[in-house]
Amino acid sequence: MSETVHLTIDGREIAADPTVSILQAYAQSGAELTANVGCMGQGVCGSCRCMVRKDGERQVSTLLACETRVEPGMQVSFIDYFLPAHVHHYDLKDLHDSWGMLDQIRAVFPEAEHCRHCSGCDRACPKGLPVQSGVAFSVAGDIAAAAAVFDQCVMCNLCTLACPENIRPNHLGLFVRRSVAALTLRPIDLMRRLREVASGEMSVNVTLPRVETATAAPRLAAPAQDR
Amino acid sequence: MNTLNQVLLNPAFQLGADLDGWRAAGGGQGLDAALADPGAIIATLEAADLRGMGGAGFPTHRKWAAAAAAPAPDGDKYVVCNGNEDEPGTFKDRHLLRWTPHQVIEGALIAAVAIRANRVVLYINPHQAEGRAQMRRAAQQWAGTEAVRRIERLIGKPLEIAVVATSGRYIGGEETAVISSLEGGFPFPRRKPPFPAESGCHGAPTLINNTETLANVPHILHHGAAWYRGLGVGDAAGTKLYSLSGDVLLPGLYELPMGTSLHDLIFVHGGGMLEGKAFKGVFTGGPSNTLLTARDLDVALDFDSVRLRRSRLGTGAMIVISEGTSIVRKVAEYIEFFANGSCGQCPSCKAGTFQMARLLDRVDSGRAGPGDIAALRNLCRILPGSGRCGLIDGAVTVVESSLHTFPAEYGVAEPAPAETA
Ligand SMILES: Cc1cc2nc3c(=O)[nH]c(=O)nc-3n(C[C@H](O)[C@H](O)[C@H](O)COP(=O)(O)O)c2cc1C
Ligand code: SF4
Ligand code: SF4
Ligand code: FES
Repeated sequence: MSETVHLTIDGREIAADPTVSILQAYAQSGAELTANVGCMGQGVCGSCRCMVRKDGERQVSTLLACETRVEPGMQVSFIDYFLPAHVHHYDLKDLHDSWGMLDQIRAVFPEAEHCRHCSGCDRACPKGLPVQSGVAFSVAGDIAAAAAVFDQCVMCNLCTLACPENIRPNHLGLFVRRSVAALTLRPIDLMRRLREVASGEMSVNVTLPRVETATAAPRLAAPAQDR
Repeated sequence: MNTLNQVLLNPAFQLGADLDGWRAAGGGQGLDAALADPGAIIATLEAADLRGMGGAGFPTHRKWAAAAAAPAPDGDKYVVCNGNEDEPGTFKDRHLLRWTPHQVIEGALIAAVAIRANRVVLYINPHQAEGRAQMRRAAQQWAGTEAVRRIERLIGKPLEIAVVATSGRYIGGEETAVISSLEGGFPFPRRKPPFPAESGCHGAPTLINNTETLANVPHILHHGAAWYRGLGVGDAAGTKLYSLSGDVLLPGLYELPMGTSLHDLIFVHGGGMLEGKAFKGVFTGGPSNTLLTARDLDVALDFDSVRLRRSRLGTGAMIVISEGTSIVRKVAEYIEFFANGSCGQCPSCKAGTFQMARLLDRVDSGRAGPGDIAALRNLCRILPGSGRCGLIDGAVTVVESSLHTFPAEYGVAEPAPAETA
């Protein structure tokens, strides 16, 4: 059995097994999980965004708590969901053909052209995506390349929080991914499956976990999806 | 003796771009003294104990000595007058640029003599349009003068005096951001070392001083270090420009002996509190610094004395707050200012200011959870030093100081042990 690791999370001292993630350590410490948790450790919801300063380091990194293993002396601060003052609105039905893509990007994300190349988004991204280049590809109209950059994006919103020009790179990324999907033929197996579901040929059986209605039940944060 | 406006704000010097007038008022003699004995300039500043007025109070002679000693690879050396002033509550440099441009330029020319610089850059915030216009006119008036020819003979090359507009952004005043800006880019701060005095603009040794710092130099060279030291109260040297604002009767810019008490600034010169308002505290040195309370009214406003109270003089801005104003609300506003001013390079700067602002908002609106104060204190521990420049550190300083001086506003009975140290 390995030694116990001591770290602090939001100023609270916590002892943890060295094999667990920050999020697991936090949950096991008896903390009430009222925010900063969604997919509970699968690294897909982006809710568990946090700042981490490792022992003896000056740098503070932005990471996902469920994908980062605890280390002795780590100091962690969870980050709230960041909702910028300005939210982008668009309707994918406006996209008739790819000729209009560049105009659409300019119309919906006019601030993307103001990128000052600070690389803050690249450094902020816990998935290590080259976010800045995704913004540049979008502005240049290279939509396929831009969509590829954001393929692994979990919408943690950390690049949006980081961007000094209020560009919201992940939302731009989501837009280009949706646009590519809207302008391409749907995968045939998906179309077939949807038909089967619609006709009842394939039954969908979702069993939801039972949630206690008592106030003591943990209130799970909504996943940080685009809104 | 009237201790108000003896030097920098002396009415005799408030001339605008009028070189003849400046000379008639005694200007030019500091530069003459510097040219007569260039080797003695830095020692004179050391004896005078001149400090950087841009916020840090760093001994000026040390920076000048480093820039003088630094080899110039391409033969160039720069002197930069930092006139970017953009922090809420500080309004001193803009006055000097507008009304005493020659006082400032002469200080920069003396710096050029001391470190043998061939490029003098007057880096001015374009939002101060009149100050910039006066500096342009004043710079042109020096062209071709005997004083400039003597400098050129000393350094063995032509002397260039340029007035350059800053980006107008707050971050553009940070010294390594000044360099990025002068090189033509966005004012991104850079990691130090190398320090600008060793390797700055295009790799050349670059001496960057605040406008007020440079404005003091001609007078020190003219009247001597002993005279300058004698202007201050007690051990403090010279005078200081205090930008007094907030809930006082007579807000404004006051030049007073360095080491004047906070009480005298507010209640003698500032006319006291606005009618019906009770004194609560002062943000000293502007939003990026600290708070003092009623029990500190006796503090001498000089760099060292203020530091002994766990506070900082900063730029000399004093923002007076009255009872009924929420300290937490004020601090939240300042944090918002820093969040907007961040250049974006360091994720912890944007994410850290955002999270502090969220926690402050919750405290201010009474929605703070049990762990929120601990989370705020935790941020004050992990954020300092995590950025390339001092912006994030300044933001933490004001949060930490407010937690220490006004714990009750945070619903905390006593300062945490670490903060009473
Ligand atoms: C975020 C930030 C903004 C600053 N803005 C200014 C400014 O507008 N003007 C200024 O003189 N110094 C400013 N400073 C301080 C400069 O970095 C530098 O210390 C100063 O110009 C040096 O001059 P001094 O030694 O004469 O004080 C700023 C520092 C930071 C961290
Ligand atoms: S954070 Fe914003 S401004 Fe900076 S590189 Fe990324 S998109 Fe550009
Ligand atoms: S600390 Fe903030 S303002 Fe300073 S370099 Fe980093 S991101 Fe830019
Ligand atoms: S809980 Fe970490 S990404 Fe969902």
